[in-house]
Amino acid sequence: MFEILIKTLKTGTVTTKYPQKPDIAPLGFRGKPELLPEKCNFCGECVKACPPGVIWLDEEKGEKRFTLSCCGCIFCGMCEEVCPCGAIRLTREYELGSKTKDDLLTIIRRRV
Amino acid sequence: MTIEDEREIMGQRLHEKIKNIFGRSLSIREVDAGSCNACEVEITALSNPIYDMERFGIHIVASPRHADMLLVTGPVTRNMELALLKTYNATPEPKLVAAMGSCACNGGIFGETYASGGGVDRFIPVDLYIPGCPPRPQAVIFGLMVAVDKLEQKIRKLEVKA
Repeated sequence: MFEILIKTLKTGTVTTKYPQKPDIAPLGFRGKPELLPEKCNFCGECVKACPPGVIWLDEEKGEKRFTLSCCGCIFCGMCEEVCPCGAIRLTREYELGSKTKDDLLTIIRRRV
Repeated sequence: MTIEDEREIMGQRLHEKIKNIFGRSLSIREVDAGSCNACEVEITALSNPIYDMERFGIHIVASPRHADMLLVTGPVTRNMELALLKTYNATPEPKLVAAMGSCACNGGIFGETYASGGGVDRFIPVDLYIPGCPPRPQAVIFGLMVAVDKLEQKIRKLEVKA
């Protein structure tokens, strides 16, 4: 019994102070996809590669739109892999809790 | 003042009331609506000594009748559809619903098929979306804090003209 008590006292507190202190995800963690709008050339390779289909291209009033929704994204990194111009990058950000689906969208518009 | 404005004000008042009611603690009933169990593993990790959800007054309870919030995981399969609706109806008002994981948000990797419903919001109103496949325990804590208005939402809609 004393051995267990000594071990418990030696271990101390293991609880993280998460909301007070920011917890940065480890290197190589696949979090929220980030778009670099200057580099994107609307080729559509990522649309074909995305397994859950949360990336889509459409056209409206002479404007090309590229939409990426984090809602439904499985953070596989396929879009980053296939992109020929490196316009998608997965960041280490993971705090994506949102009250609406609309807030999870990222849109690039470009005049044709 | 139009009816819509009045409705909006009433909605805000109700929201404040809910915020006051849930200000101290939150009881959660976890509903597995056809998940792959990865989200369940993360929820289990939430009650271990490292993440320790109980220090915020958030408890997992054994019955929807004791709960303030439903934490739904999975894309709502055909067999779990009725069970989810029954659980939702058994939860007393005021209640919150959180969709945890990408499957619950939008169907995720399962999508919308004959057997898979394609998201919780097609069946019951959802107040909080926590994307991730599965979300980290920290991400779930963050989401729950956003739901009870203890933390600010970080993600916003981004529109860029290039």
